[in-house]
This record gives sequence, structure tokens and C-alpha cells, in this order.
Amino acid sequence: MNRSLAEAISDETPMLHFAGHDFEPLPSGGLYWHAQRTLLVADLHFEKMASFARRGQLLPPYDTGMTLARLEADLALTKASRLVALGDSFHRANASSLLTQTDRMRLDGVTASLDCIWLLGNHDPAPHEGIGGVCLPGLEVAGLTFTHEPRRGVAGLVAGHLHPAAHVRIAGRSTRRPCFVHDGRLLILPAYGASTGALNILSPAFAGLFDWPSLEVTMLGRERTYPVSPRRLIS
Amino acid sequence: MHTPLPPVIADWFARKNWSPRAHQLDVLSSWQEGASALLIAPTGAGKTLAGFLPTLVDLAANPVEGLHTLYISPLKALAVDVQRNLTNPIAEMGLAISAETRTGDTPASRRARQRSKPPHILLTTPEQLCLLISHPHAHLFFGSLRRIVLDELHALVTSKRGELLSLCLARIAALAPDLAITALSATVARPDLLRDWIVRPLPRRETRLLHASGGAPPQLEILRTMEHLPWAGHSSVYAHRELYAIIRAHRTTLLFVNTRSQAELLFQGLWAINDEALPIALHHGSLSVEQRRKVESAMVEGRLKAVVCTSTLDLGIDWGDVDLVVQVGAPKGSSRMLQRIGRANHRLDEPSKAILVPSNRFEVLECEAALEAVAEGHQDSEDPVAGGYDVLAQHILGMGCAEPFLADDLFDEVRRAWPYRDLPREKFDRVLDFVATGGYALRAYERYARLRRNPDGRWRVANAQVAQQYRLNIGTIVEEPMVRVRLVRGRGFKKGRTTGPIGMGGRVLGEMEEYFFGTLLPGDTFMFGGEIVAFETMRDNEAFVSRAQATNPKIPSYMGGKFPLSTYLAERVRRIMDSPEDWSKLPDQVSDWLRLQRDVSLLPAHDSLLVETFPRGDNNFLVCYPFEGRLAHQTLGMLLTRRLERERARPLGFVASEYALAIWGLGDLSALIRTGRLSLDDLFSEDMLGDDLEAWLDESALMKRTFRNCAIIAGLIERRHPGKEKSGRQITMSSDLIYDVLYAHEPDHILIQATRRDAARGLLDIERLGQMLARIRAHIVHKPLPRISPLAVPVLLDIGKEPIFGEGRESAMAEAADELLREAMGRD
Repeated sequence: MNRSLAEAISDETPMLHFAGHDFEPLPSGGLYWHAQRTLLVADLHFEKMASFARRGQLLPPYDTGMTLARLEADLALTKASRLVALGDSFHRANASSLLTQTDRMRLDGVTASLDCIWLLGNHDPAPHEGIGGVCLPGLEVAGLTFTHEPRRGVAGLVAGHLHPAAHVRIAGRSTRRPCFVHDGRLLILPAYGASTGALNILSPAFAGLFDWPSLEVTMLGRERTYPVSPRRLIS
Repeated sequence: MHTPLPPVIADWFARKNWSPRAHQLDVLSSWQEGASALLIAPTGAGKTLAGFLPTLVDLAANPVEGLHTLYISPLKALAVDVQRNLTNPIAEMGLAISAETRTGDTPASRRARQRSKPPHILLTTPEQLCLLISHPHAHLFFGSLRRIVLDELHALVTSKRGELLSLCLARIAALAPDLAITALSATVARPDLLRDWIVRPLPRRETRLLHASGGAPPQLEILRTMEHLPWAGHSSVYAHRELYAIIRAHRTTLLFVNTRSQAELLFQGLWAINDEALPIALHHGSLSVEQRRKVESAMVEGRLKAVVCTSTLDLGIDWGDVDLVVQVGAPKGSSRMLQRIGRANHRLDEPSKAILVPSNRFEVLECEAALEAVAEGHQDSEDPVAGGYDVLAQHILGMGCAEPFLADDLFDEVRRAWPYRDLPREKFDRVLDFVATGGYALRAYERYARLRRNPDGRWRVANAQVAQQYRLNIGTIVEEPMVRVRLVRGRGFKKGRTTGPIGMGGRVLGEMEEYFFGTLLPGDTFMFGGEIVAFETMRDNEAFVSRAQATNPKIPSYMGGKFPLSTYLAERVRRIMDSPEDWSKLPDQVSDWLRLQRDVSLLPAHDSLLVETFPRGDNNFLVCYPFEGRLAHQTLGMLLTRRLERERARPLGFVASEYALAIWGLGDLSALIRTGRLSLDDLFSEDMLGDDLEAWLDESALMKRTFRNCAIIAGLIERRHPGKEKSGRQITMSSDLIYDVLYAHEPDHILIQATRRDAARGLLDIERLGQMLARIRAHIVHKPLPRISPLAVPVLLDIGKEPIFGEGRESAMAEAADELLREAMGRD
């Protein structure tokens, strides 16, 4: 692969086609829906490290700030008018009360600037106290269904929860990165939060969710995203 | 003059027809005269008895209750073994002295009883000692303590366990006013440092340095092979037949190798020609505990003809009737070599016998250097290490669990531990702040503090949960994330991903580092436990493998072992090369090779750095010969490629060996240097350890691996929790995330500082690189060549076998991204 060709391609935004809609997968892990001017993100896990601190592991209190910075950058880039967070936005119920003053102000800045829809997740099953926007268990827009936990049997379901990652080996080198994964019926977004880990899509947690022959995988790179062939996946 | 022994003990010696050795009596009189002692003695000198004789004499004369003597060993198994060797004489003397072990295997009920009613002699490990001193009643427990016996101290002081032990000693010295220390050590390079190490916690006590008279000098030789000596590689396959003959000719042979994969290969190779079915066994750290115990007991019973082993058998226990030690592969250092040789023949008056088997031509030189060093009795053991902030953090939390402390007092106490003797107050305060609330500039965690201050200014642990967490995370040994290797029935491999069920159950073969499996595809074969197996799949933190038909396994890549070539041996190797008059003692194959090098290029002189440049294929090569070990060479390679890139020499990659570094690229290096566009003095200038190093550290995965260890030891990340043990993968993943978040926001955080210090002397070996760069400043000899030189052959042969590093500036992800992109293209 020569570099000029690589650059030529990276100018072209790779799109993700799912259930009759076009999305732009961002290297941050966000998914931008141009037609709806909507930014979709999953599993922000705000205040995850602070939650560890409560239990005696004093992890650095900077992850919320990093996730917010990511979010602000994506909103500025896409000029979205709506944000849909697919659940687990906070790592714990009531974690919104843990926010530092600075992080709280930044988050208020985000919620004041556009429509925010917070879907409920297993980590944050109750509506967030004192955070702008609306909290909903699920959402339907333009024939698509948005929810936290993925399941089979609903066409056009967009979910998070599982933190998908792809592990590929190419030319003797292996790389593991978070990814978008879908089979035309179910789309799972990678986790967006700075403190979130990821789970290989070949692991048992994903068993039975996807129709493997139709699988499409898009890995997050540093500057762009990369579609990869499911044949390349390794456990 | 020695005081006479009490009759019960004198009679016992008489009944055995023994007399106490001079150094045993020296240790005794040191104790009787109120002094501490460091006894330097070779294996087989009766160190155990020397260590405990004062205790037996004292308790025979004044039987008192309470803990009298604490024995600390680096190995659990050694503590158990010593206890056995101690209870026999105690029983034979008819003394009412109790000696008990306390290890991770000791039942909780006995541990509780030991705390309330301690034995006279407690034999334990540094980790157990931490638990004991962090207990609120530690002052009662240790108040009666008179003696501490530190066994194999030379092995402890070069590691973080030694740092932790030093802090424990400083505390116990404060708890036990009558304490004296007896330390036992193999011969080391700097006995004065080791002595100082035990003086520090007890500054007012006289401390004597005692030497046991040395045994017979070892008989050491290099295998004079009739076979072709390989240019490169570490397999020693050429020597298998000769080794087999040697094993046959001896009673019991210990064959030491440097890495597990070498052990596997040698074991397999010997069995392939084992026509007489000699009992030859394998012993290394990845085998299951039961398997290792089986080998050990067979060894003790004299049922084995040979054991192939790694450093797992370096220390401690007496393995019975070993009459020959063979070192296969580079000896690395003369002290290490001497200790391994000492594993043969535990009788002082007979010489130990050892054979060195170099696995390639450079190793012949290293073996020759080791031979000379051993003959001269020269020691090159590592010096004790300075204290890390991670270990200090763990200790501070433990002290908060024991009883409330004043920061000033604890600081003074900590500075009585040798590794922390120069600790600045500012660092101590930052570590204390880290332990209390995380030490973050953003003070978000006051409400979750682990240490709180009482109104009188004393720090104490915040609650019982924190104390429990401390106890569960004690110690400095951080295992690589391991997975169990389980043998299952194979399913045969078709092309592509297999999804069918595979056989469950099956025997556990042992454990292996998880990262190894990250590089395997299903169906790949490798050697494990002496068998060739095929990787099937990963499931629930187990690697399933099946018996493979393959005869040529994909062997785990040579990881270089933990021990780099010692600076001293490196220096000697350079001198041998630089002294053609001495080449006659080298095998012809090797001296011919050096002569050829002298004719077509230059020999690396002992006081300069030879740099060769030559074209080969489409690339231009730069090969230099620093002899500073693989880790330092890798760091040098990373930094040089960055610089060469900046100088437009267009480097493509490099490979590092123990002796040399080869970099290749597109630019004509010879021409760049000739025309003055590239200056080698600038290229190798020490300032590469400034900004270039910083820029590289930003991206280095080695920093993350080092950070994980520091974070676990410092208690930032837990290693386990009751009932919800984390898998290794989860810890690795989250520690990387934590590092990213912390490094981005507080690159000066005390744990990042701890990580840098560890990386500098560990995986990056920056210390040694810095010394080398200073040594060769303005002493670089450049030799442009039309083609590859004889000396460059080995390192170039390593290309394809050793990890090759790509361009310095491109991160691994960017390279992988290119690969992904190619893949994406192929698909469209």
C-alpha cells in the first residue's frame, strides 16, 4: 500500500449503510446520522473512575473530562442538532451527583446547545437527576429502534451495551480495536467513554445475536475508521 | 576466642562426628557479642546451621516464651525445606524449641494461633512479613524478637521484594529493641553494600562481615564441539548428541538454559535421541505445580539422570546428588554462572564440575569470558536497587493499617531502609498524598480518602475495607496475565474460522503468558511441556490445545530471557576480540571468523564503538556493536531510527541482539557520512536520552506494561477481590486506559514517575544505554564496506527470528491501520 493511495482514500469518508439509512462512523466511536442531524453515542460511562474511587480504588478523576472533550469535538465537527446516548451514560445510578463542578458545567453546556435524549441503561436504569435533556427507555425514529441492550428479532435495532471490539490479524501483526458491527438488522455501537474497555465480537456474549454471513465490521482507527472483512477476525 | 557450646549442642556435634565450622562459630560469637553479621558463603558451607546456631545456643541456655528468631527466605519452598532441616537437629538435641513456617499455604487457624502464641522460630517470606507488621498488634508480636535471619539476601536485594523487605526491617527494628540481624548470602560483587543494607535499620549495632572459607575451585570448561557452530540462534541443536553422551557419563546432570522455549527445545531434542530411555525431566515456571513437584521429588530421590531447567532451580533447595552442571546458551554473568555451578556437588571440599555450551559464535566469546571471570573469582552480581515509589506506597498503606503514624516519624523510619536512604521529603509526601487520596492535582477524592488524619495529626487507615484491600493486594510480584493450557481432543483444521464444538475437559498442561496466544491462529503449533501441540481456541481464560502431528512446531519466539549480558562480561568479550594474541584458545571456527573480520573490516576495540555501513539488496545497513544487551540495544534502535528519519536517511526497521544492533533503510548511509551530511557523533550523542526519548515514551507499549506493575504494587489497581477475581485481560485493559487518562492529564503524577524509573532500569535499560553513550563519546570508528562483514552475519540472520521494529515515529496502530486499509481495498 503506498501512502498517496492511503491518503486518497482517507479523504473519502467511509459510510455505514444499515437498514436503508446512511451513517458516518467517526473514529471517536460516535455515529453521525446526516439525514436526522443526529449524533449517536453509546456507553459514555461518565464518572466510571470516580465510581471505582468510592470503593477504594482511587483511579484518576479525568475520564469524564476526556469523554466530554470527545463529545464536544464531535458535536462541533458534525454540527448535530440532536444527541442520542444509547444508555450507560453514567457508570452508576445517581452518579450525576458525583460530577465535579467543571465537568458539570461542561455537560450543561452540551445539553443546553441541542436536544439530548438519554436512553436508560443497565448502569443507569433511572432518569438522571438534574441533567438537561430527556431520559427514555427506548426510541423509534424513521423506522429504526434505539435501545441500550441488543436483542434479536427486531429489524433495524440500534444498540450499545456490549462494547464490541474486533481483533484482526493481517500480515503477521494483530490489532484489537473497538468497532461498529451490524448484520443489516442489528447494529451495535462501540463504547464511547474514555474509561471503557471492549469485548471481542467473537466472544460468547455476542453469540446468537448476528447473522454471521451478513456481518459487517468497521474498526476505529486514529484518524478514520476502517471496514474489515469478518474473515479476518480472530478470537 | 569462641565461647564453648552448651553441652546438649556440643554432644550433638560429637555424636555426629562433626565439629562446628569456623564461620558457624563466627556467627555465634558475633551474636554473643551483640553484633549483627553478614555471612558470605558458597553453597554447601552449612549456612543454615550457621544462621540458627545462635538461636539454638541462646534458647538452650535461656528457654523463654515468645518469638525469638524470624527467618526470611525468598522462596516458600526454601522456608519449608529449612524448617525440616532445623527440626531434626532440634529433636536430636532434645531441645524444647518450636520452629514453624508461615506461608500463603498455612491454614488460617494456624496463622491466627501463631499471632497469639508465636513459635520460637518463625520461617516465612517477605510478603508474610508485611502482613504481620501491618497488624494492629504487631508491637506485641515483635517485641520479644531477638534475631532475624535473612537467607539468600543477594537474590532479594536486587528486586522490589528486597525494597519491601527493607521497609519491613526498618519497622521491625523500631518494634524490637534487642534485634540483631544475620544475613546469609552467596558471593557478591559488593559485600560492603550488602553489609550497609543490613546496617541501615540498626545503625547503632556493630555489623560484621564474615566470609566462609571458599571450597575447592570449580572445574569449568567449554564444550569443544566437533560439529559446525551456528552463526546465530539459541537452539543449541548442534550439541544435542554430545550433550546426550555427557549425560550418560555422569550420575545426575542439571542442564540450565535461559528461557522456557530453550528448555522445551533441548528437552525435546534429548528425548528424540534418547535410545536408552534415560530418565530426563523438564522443569520450568510454566509447568503445573504438580508436575514440578513430581520432578523435584524424583530428583531428591536420585531417580533422574538429568533435568533441563530454567532459573526456577537457581536458588535454594538441595537437589541431591548432582555431579555436573551444564549451562546451555550464554552464561550472562559470572556470578550467576558461579551460583549455577554451585548447584553441583554440595560438598565443600570437592570441586563442582560444569560445562558451558555456547549456542552460537558470539556466545563462544561470552563463555570464554565467563570462564576467565570464574577462574579469577570475579563477581559481577547486580548491586542492591534503589527504592521505588510504588513499593513505598504499599508500605505506607500497611503502616496506616498497623497503627496511626506521624508523617515525620514514618519518613525517618523509611529512610532507615537502605533503598530509601536518600529519599527526598518531597517525594515521600507525594507518595503519602497518593496513598491517602490518589495524589491528583484535581483534588476530587477527599471524601474517598484511604488514609485520614486524626486531630493529633496522625494518619490512620480510613476504614476496615481499605485494610482488607491492602491485605489482599500485598507483595511486589506481579504475574504476567496467564492462561491455563488445557489439552483437548483436536477437531482438525479446515480453512477459515471453525465454529464447531471441540472436546471439553482434558488435562491442564500448565500456564502460559496470555500475550503469546494473542499472536497465534487456531492450528498454529508450538511446543509445551515437551510435546508439540496445536492451538485450538481460547475459552474462559483457558487456551485449548490438542496433540499435533507436526514435526516442525512453530516455537515460541526467543524472548531473550530476563537477564542481560552483564557489563563486566561484555567488557571482557570486547577485550577478547581486541586481543588476537589470545585467540588461540578459541575454537578454530571462531578465531577464523574473527580473523576474517579483521581482514575485511575492523575488530570492535574495547574502548570504542565500531559502526559499519554497507549496502545489501535494496537496502543500506548500519550495524554497530555496543555489547550492552538486547534491551539497551532495542532502546538505542528506537531512538536512532527516529534520528535517522529526521536526517532523511529513510530507515525502515532494525533488529537487536545481545551484542549488536542492525538498522536498515533506503538512504545511502555510507555516502551520507562520507559527505558529512550525517555525523555519527551527533547521531550517537547522549542528548537522544532527552526529547527523543520523551517523544518515544509517549507511544511506547513498554511504558504501559511497566505502569501496570507499578499501579498494582502501589494499590491503584487491585489484583484480586474476594469472590470476584478479575481475569488477567481485564486488568491489562483497564491499566492501559488508566495510563492513557493519567498520562494525558498529569504526566508528572508520582505513579508516572515511578513507571519512568522502572522502565529506565527495566524494559528500556536506559541506564545502561546512557553509560554506553558516555563511554563511546568521540570514540566512534566508522567503517564503510562494500558488503556485509563477517561480524554482522549473526545479527542479520536474526532478522526474521527476532522481533523487528518498524519506523520509530509511526506508531504501531498507524502501521496496522495501513494493513487494515490494504484489507479494505482488497475487499472493495
